[in-house]
Amino acid sequence: MTELQQRLATGKGKFTPLYEDLDTGPVDYEDSISPEFFEAEREAVFRRSWLYVGRSERLPRPGTFFTRELNGLASIVVARRKDGVVNAFHNVCAHRGNKVVWQEHPQEESKGSCREFACKYHGWRYGLDGRVTHVTNEEEFFGLDKDALRMPPVHCEEFAGFIFVNLAPDPVPLRAYLGDRLLELEAYPFGEMTQHYGFSAPIRGNWKLAVDSVCEWYHPPYVHARFIDKDVAKAEKMVPPPDSYHYDLFTPHMLTSVPGPPPLPPREPGTAGPAARDQKWVYRLFRAGLFGPDDVPDLGPLPGFLNAGNIKSWGNDQFWLFPNLSVQIWARGFYITYTYWPEAVDRHTYDIDLYFVPPKNAQERLAQELVVDSTIEFAMQDVNTIEATQQGLSTRANRQFHLSDQELLIRKFHKTVRDTVAAHDAKEGR
Amino acid sequence: MTTATSGARTLPERFADLERWVADWARPTRQERYDMRLSKKYDELEEFYDAIAPRVEEAIDYLNTRDLTDLADDDARLLQLLYSMILVSYAVNVFMQPRIPDSGAAFFDTTAEPAV
Repeated sequence: MTELQQRLATGKGKFTPLYEDLDTGPVDYEDSISPEFFEAEREAVFRRSWLYVGRSERLPRPGTFFTRELNGLASIVVARRKDGVVNAFHNVCAHRGNKVVWQEHPQEESKGSCREFACKYHGWRYGLDGRVTHVTNEEEFFGLDKDALRMPPVHCEEFAGFIFVNLAPDPVPLRAYLGDRLLELEAYPFGEMTQHYGFSAPIRGNWKLAVDSVCEWYHPPYVHARFIDKDVAKAEKMVPPPDSYHYDLFTPHMLTSVPGPPPLPPREPGTAGPAARDQKWVYRLFRAGLFGPDDVPDLGPLPGFLNAGNIKSWGNDQFWLFPNLSVQIWARGFYITYTYWPEAVDRHTYDIDLYFVPPKNAQERLAQELVVDSTIEFAMQDVNTIEATQQGLSTRANRQFHLSDQELLIRKFHKTVRDTVAAHDAKEGR
Repeated sequence: MTTATSGARTLPERFADLERWVADWARPTRQERYDMRLSKKYDELEEFYDAIAPRVEEAIDYLNTRDLTDLADDDARLLQLLYSMILVSYAVNVFMQPRIPDSGAAFFDTTAEPAV
């Protein structure tokens, strides 16, 4: 072991055997290549889980709204009502089904601020709660029950500034769905981190394979070798040892905690040294790297739920909110959300959103820019690997695959999806 | 306040020697900066990096005296040059080519970014 690896090693045993519902045998990946499974998953998981659709800061005042295209699931409007409450409804007119809220392109998402929504087709209007307020030439209709007319409601709840919707007719409340461990997230100052960067990529791979790619820390010396060391043999020695990470499972949700380098000590301006073609010099220059800015904003004492595994040099906690949201809270005072929206068995949209405390000056602004650019350069490397895996799996040349201990979240995540589908099928008598 | 609309190419006076880089690299959106990186040959990226890198600390020092929410056009262009230098640094120092190796057609669209 290298000095770094010795310093971070814990001597902990394996994680997988700690969880009774996990075995250690080979796995198959039919759940990522079968079109039938994809349809069943959409019904059992996506039509019945709480789905994250945006941060509360997107709706700063009553009358503000945004639309979401939940591909193959629904087209919805999320709006803040006059009483301040955020609610959601299907983006469908009660008259003849026209999509009510859109700008220029009906396929694209939109946002804005208004008192009422007016249908572009025949001028019916709806309040911020989705109820009809105006029917054009109402007397021309036959027995309309105007009080019942509305854009159909969707269950919508906020938690810690995250807005969720649920398409099921009668879902469990959001807080019960999240459970005690995730409710602790409410103590984190997400609301102070309003400096927002968002990115979106279409990926020709199953959404679960994309989740897999950031659930384990086995791939970095290979996929990201160029960032660590051009010589893979050296890169392998520069990553933390497997027992330095921390994992926890609280079905259906999960956690992985990651070690990371401590911030560089403060330095006087002008002391970065002579310019060099060396990325480590660039990191010193801008005082930032993949793990965040070196000058960490003062957020007061951090909530005790973070770094539950007592990692010696803690980098981040990544909370997996079933099914398709990860909230990654970094030791250096920022957070990233990752969201996966399936479109077909072999296609999804991958959204990455980064949030920082607004920078006080150019130096802080540039440090954040470097963190953002690093995150996306790394993510770009992951994306093609996901597509390559999809192609390999879909040949079915191999049907049994092998997961190591540090891939336990992958084992658990696929099992949770399959169990959710099986439970739904059983309930429906299939 | 953006270069795209004004077409101006000036920088704060003490950085006037960097003005030859403004037309290509002082761009207000990350998408434009990334497109520029992909449009260049590797040695052109090296040349840009080598020109900006020795001046970064001085530029940060200068920009730190300015109000980020109310930047003069010249100052905004200087800041954008530094954003571009960060984006180019991966190509020059890590990948040794403009594009990320093995990234194929992969691409992230920008859905949100700060105004400045």
